[in-house]
Amino acid sequence: MKGKKEIIVSIVVVAGVLLTLFFYLMGTGEIEFNQIVLVGIALILVGLAMYIIWDKIRNVQKGLPGKDERTVSMSHKAGYYGFIAAIWSAVFGPVIIDIIFGYELDGGDVSAIVVLVSAFVFIISYLYLYWKGK
Amino acid sequence: MRTHIKELRARYDLTQEDLAKKVGVRRETILFIEKGNYNPSLKLAHDIAKALQTTIDELFIFEE
Repeated sequence: MKGKKEIIVSIVVVAGVLLTLFFYLMGTGEIEFNQIVLVGIALILVGLAMYIIWDKIRNVQKGLPGKDERTVSMSHKAGYYGFIAAIWSAVFGPVIIDIIFGYELDGGDVSAIVVLVSAFVFIISYLYLYWKGK
Repeated sequence: MRTHIKELRARYDLTQEDLAKKVGVRRETILFIEKGNYNPSLKLAHDIAKALQTTIDELFIFEE
């Protein structure tokens, strides 16, 4: 039952993210390249999150738990890597962008980079651990 | 770490999914334990040993 609740909450969150992206794009007049990149990354993250949710649903349908001690351990490890990535991206993200593109980021851009990088590292780490088995 | 899970599953005619249901974990967890890619907690090791009517000592082979 707990697994089913989590799945429903995850689906609601994914739907919320998709709606937010939709309204963001509708509210933006002319879409710039950096916005396309950010929305693209967000859509990739949503796609990967949907894969994880689908995998949980598949297990629950078979009468198996949506999560067990291995997936909990995977979440903890991936969360740790995401946290480290958030710190490093906050420190070095603006510096790297400045060196490569010569563009100084404002606070909102840095926040967006931190959120996207940490989420990306979390999802990639989670899927790596999922397939590797560790 | 190696295990005898696969042999014991075959003896009792259990699939990975059957064993996973018995001990309350996902099928992939059983798969990775069998392959030696995941070290289960003591509780899960105990539950698997109990489901396969053996002991942890006989189920898992620790190599130094």
